Amino acid sequence: MKSATTAPGDVTSFSLGLALPLGLAFAIFFVLPLAQLFYLSLHNDTAATVWGLGQYIKFLTDPFSLAVLGSTLLLGAEVTLACLVLGYPIAWLYQRSGSRVQTLIIMIVLLPLLTSVVVRTFAWIVILGRQGIINSVLQSLGLIGTPLRMIYTQGGLIAALAQVQMPLMVLPLITAIGRIDPNLSDASASLGAGSWRTFVKVMLPLSMPGIIAGCTLTYAAAITAFITQSLVGGGQMLFMPMYLYQQASTLQNWPFAAAISIIFLFAVLAIVALFSTLGRRARGYGDAR
Amino acid sequence: MMLDRRRLLTSALTLGAMHAFPGMSLAQARPLVFATFTGSWEEAHKAVLVPAFRKANADAAIVLDPMLSVDQIAKVNAAKANPPIDVMLHDPGPALVAIGQDLVDPFPADKSAYFKDLIPEAQDAMGPAPFFQVVGLTYNPETVKTPPTSWADLWKPEFKGKVGITNLNSTLGTGWLVEIARMRGGSEANVDEGFKALEELKPNLAAVAANPGALATLFQQGQIDISPGNFNAIQILKARGVPVEFVAPKEGAIAFKTTIHIVKNSPNKELAFKLIEAALSPEVQTTLMNSPYLIVPTNTKVAMSGEIAKVLAKDTAELKKKFVFQDWKKINEQRASWIEKFNRDIKI
Repeated sequence: MKSATTAPGDVTSFSLGLALPLGLAFAIFFVLPLAQLFYLSLHNDTAATVWGLGQYIKFLTDPFSLAVLGSTLLLGAEVTLACLVLGYPIAWLYQRSGSRVQTLIIMIVLLPLLTSVVVRTFAWIVILGRQGIINSVLQSLGLIGTPLRMIYTQGGLIAALAQVQMPLMVLPLITAIGRIDPNLSDASASLGAGSWRTFVKVMLPLSMPGIIAGCTLTYAAAITAFITQSLVGGGQMLFMPMYLYQQASTLQNWPFAAAISIIFLFAVLAIVALFSTLGRRARGYGDAR
Repeated sequence: MMLDRRRLLTSALTLGAMHAFPGMSLAQARPLVFATFTGSWEEAHKAVLVPAFRKANADAAIVLDPMLSVDQIAKVNAAKANPPIDVMLHDPGPALVAIGQDLVDPFPADKSAYFKDLIPEAQDAMGPAPFFQVVGLTYNPETVKTPPTSWADLWKPEFKGKVGITNLNSTLGTGWLVEIARMRGGSEANVDEGFKALEELKPNLAAVAANPGALATLFQQGQIDISPGNFNAIQILKARGVPVEFVAPKEGAIAFKTTIHIVKNSPNKELAFKLIEAALSPEVQTTLMNSPYLIVPTNTKVAMSGEIAKVLAKDTAELKKKFVFQDWKKINEQRASWIEKFNRDIKI
């Protein structure tokens, strides 16, 4: 067994010391402002002079605000699912390919990360637009008479977000699948399991840590993707980041915006906690020999 | 409580800054910082306003720090006692917020050589308006053969699925809603008719963009053929070869004042005043009116020419006839509830 228990004392003291600079920066530039944000959210009026839980009550009792939160969390789930379904085969293929194809795949996966999100998002406007690539191809093939409306729709947004966030799903999957001993699937096959059964019983559980990591990253990135959400989703599709921006910037209602961010933060934390609980269970799976 | 958020921020930032830069409290002199807007505004100011200011003021040091109005307000708010900005530029809504939060000094109009030459709407004691932004109808001349003449044309059945608007986050979106309400008997205090009109516009709506910039790009994609639009933004698109035209509707084009303000507690008040003077001067305004900037002047001594004379107004008298101004004090009072209503009701 490789679960080594060699002198943990020395190792941890080292890593703590090395983590100190980042830890300090984290405390000053993240924890402190976060505390300030929380402090601000505990005020009932815009000028932040009256204490109270008014902003939270306002959000949590307002069906509209809750619907915005719900649709944001749902959007994340849809994008994550799309990324998983589309990304898993790529990661799988990567592990089964020769080194030349592997380089090609990694290039294709990483390439989007090398251009800015704004550029990638604008590309999607060009693809999905009324005179965009998809519509003009479908029209020239005679499949549709009038152009389809794809931009500023939920479907278009999910497609764009899935592409933009795809590397975050594929990279952890490649790592996780790469750690699986290829002999295991051969063994499963020689014991009489079909390829589907091998996948469900052997590969899927063993790649679970990668799936969980990929899902967590994709989910967090998709629900907070302000730029893509507003450019491809448009101005009438309201998600939490835009809601927050609207309250903070246009309306200068900082306490309510602060409350929205705290609520959003906790909703996301809950989802991430769910993922990591699943992950811990999956790790039990993976280590079982 | 005595410890409100601004004071807390200010003291935290000051303490932090004093530790980081111990010499700062001694060395007060810094260049004049002018927070202009990003994009074409920055280009225009860098090319015209800054050289004119430096020429008139013995090459005084000046820094352009382009950012959105709301960011200017946040930055000044965070360090009221020692603001990092000397001159702010604002749309009408944010200008009132900045004034309301006591961030700006009154403009010393009696010292100014040009203030009295501005059209009356631009003579604001808290900060004059050196430029206008004009909102009218934008259309694609390749698909819209008869140019529209009225806001009401947006509701024509022939534009089914072709109309674009922005949400109310932008000055453009809010101002336009008020104008639509006015067209149907409403006012800055009552935009119910505007919302009713929006409801009727839904079959025609192809897109509700998140901001005016995103709206403009939809013309490029053929996603929309007609929309309310900002004169300057359209000129930029046109210059890049996008098929768009601007017309002032017969109800009047909406004019927003872009006001310029001296920040309270600025260490460079004299230079800040001089910069504003330069922005109000007929020389700078004339240059900025011409191609490629096409910024609408507010100084009555500026003779209109070029594209602006052709499309908007030949002189100040016609300008005042063709432009409508809005009462943003009234608009700001209810803007929050309108945004909320828009969030809830406008789904396409």
